[in-house]
Amino acid sequence: MAGIELRNINKVYGNRFHALHDLNFDIRDGEFMVFVGPSGCGKSTALRMIAGLESISSGELRIGDRVVNHIDPKDRDIAMVFQSYALYPHKTVRENIAFPLQMARLPTTEIDSRVNEAARILELTALLDRKPALLSGGQRQRVAMGRAIVRKPAAFLMDEPLSNLDAKLRVQMRGEIASLQRKLNVTTIYVTHDQVEAMTMGDRVAVMKGGVLQQVDTPQNLYNRPENVFVAAFIGSPSMNLYEAVLNGRTLTLGSNSFEIPDRVFEYRPSLNGASNRQVIVGFRPEHMNDAAIRPSSAEISAPVTLVEALGSESLVHLNIDAAWVDAGDPDAVADIGDERAAVARFSPKSTVRAGDIARIAVDAEELHFFEPDTRTSIW
Amino acid sequence: MHKARHLNVSGILINGAALVLVLSYALPYMYLLMTSIKPAADVQQIPPSFFPAVLSFENFREVLRSSTLPKAFVNSLTVAVLTTALSLAVAVPAAYVATQYRRRITTLFLLFALVTRMVPSVSLGVPLFQLLKSLGLLDTVPGLVLAHTSAAVPLALLLMSAFFEGMPRELEEAARMDGCTRFQAFRKIVLPVMTGGIAVTALFTFITSWNEFLYALLLTSEATKTAPIVIAEYNSVYGLAWGAMTAAAVLYSLPVIVVTLALQKQIVGGLTFGAVKG
Repeated sequence: MAGIELRNINKVYGNRFHALHDLNFDIRDGEFMVFVGPSGCGKSTALRMIAGLESISSGELRIGDRVVNHIDPKDRDIAMVFQSYALYPHKTVRENIAFPLQMARLPTTEIDSRVNEAARILELTALLDRKPALLSGGQRQRVAMGRAIVRKPAAFLMDEPLSNLDAKLRVQMRGEIASLQRKLNVTTIYVTHDQVEAMTMGDRVAVMKGGVLQQVDTPQNLYNRPENVFVAAFIGSPSMNLYEAVLNGRTLTLGSNSFEIPDRVFEYRPSLNGASNRQVIVGFRPEHMNDAAIRPSSAEISAPVTLVEALGSESLVHLNIDAAWVDAGDPDAVADIGDERAAVARFSPKSTVRAGDIARIAVDAEELHFFEPDTRTSIW
Repeated sequence: MHKARHLNVSGILINGAALVLVLSYALPYMYLLMTSIKPAADVQQIPPSFFPAVLSFENFREVLRSSTLPKAFVNSLTVAVLTTALSLAVAVPAAYVATQYRRRITTLFLLFALVTRMVPSVSLGVPLFQLLKSLGLLDTVPGLVLAHTSAAVPLALLLMSAFFEGMPRELEEAARMDGCTRFQAFRKIVLPVMTGGIAVTALFTFITSWNEFLYALLLTSEATKTAPIVIAEYNSVYGLAWGAMTAAAVLYSLPVIVVTLALQKQIVGGLTFGAVKG
């Protein structure tokens, strides 16, 4: 086992495309680190550079106490699980799992006992003599995991290993991988574009965009204290609603709506104090907006309802807020049904608002987020 | 009811069209086969009959008794096997590098291989003759193998490139993560996975050399004459030995048919299923 350090890591391709910019962070020994971000953000490139499958243009990569920039993948003591699983189709499950041990020239008895142990942990014992073509998606995924854990490597690298599974199996395997990692306590880097996977599995999450690291933090901190507009919108589903607003003293004006910001907000965001006609980007999460008819609040706004999605346990209410909408810069953001610029609120299913109504919305003003309009970074 | 009749009519039309297509391929060969098993006297009867009146293997006995045809078969087999081996040894690694480590130059390389296929064999025949003559390889097995390899490698390269394009690159990467060097990954994982593709390429390369006529005509005389030349010689200034020629042609076509049937599974299936998501 070992920690992994990235120091000023850059990747520039032959066509001068700069895929990664000055990546800097440490992954602690035994930690489960998730790289998350939209497609093209450089998360897989970063993983492949750690694996040794992509060269490092500049910077220093350490695994344990070794600089591994120029060390072959086979000598880095790391195992990788691929998105496509990359099982060897001509080998049985047993031969697939045993292959890295055979390459390490371990004695046959040791190989057998390790393969059997891995198969037992992953419930593959009955499938050991089958070829990958005869396995289901979930079973193939487990074989790929088996091939990784059998080596007892310094670190596991996983490149979107669940993206080929159906939704139900994905949730199940998510739990299995997380608990297996905790049991084995091996440093793990897990790449995903799914922020739910990132939040539920990682000890810490590195959010990336356009080859630049945006924030590395615990899932809770990413949700509560996003450092910029992109992280704020990327973490959480549905996304945080972001609008341009004006802060004057303690009054926030959002389009035609105005309400008072509680004192507590100014205690943990002191630089907002004494604002006079200050332009800000304000962010509020769907779960911090309620139907004022059910839960009244001192901070209320009104807006026409464009769509109500009743999900049973909650209703997602799309609102047309008359303030300037802010694009968080997520290229993968799926436009909401109707107007992509609609704000989304998560109302109790008891709410009776319907499309076409003018709804009164109670905003939990203590949970508001504020960002600088020019740098798009959080205001504290 | 009306729909069922409609389906029936379209079914008959499709099957009829398929039958015409199959017959257009099979009839010439069937005629060859039927002629080869006719008695010598019936072969050139007017009007010609498709089916033999009497079954006779005298044409086969005649060609097998002669000294030239069995020797030509051995020459053909030797040249085809060596050509296949040499072509695969060149084309498999070259196609792998050209597809998996794609650069502008490798694309150019594949394009160039394609261009060489566009030059008529007859245009290359004369330079090849001069080249082999200066190397002292005229009318030798190595000489003909080199000539056939020059014709077979571009085809093998293009076929193998297509197979490698379909192979997930992660297989090699997984092998490298599992402790292989690049060469070990190629040998232990890539080659076994590509067995189907290699078998198909081997078959086509073998057939290219086995059926090749022009280079064999230009570059051999007595010692290394291959079967197609000997078969053609049944039509000579002394007359047309039609029965013997068809018998020799049938015998010559058998190995290709047998090998194709033997490799059918690899040709149709391929082995990469299950490597990726599937």
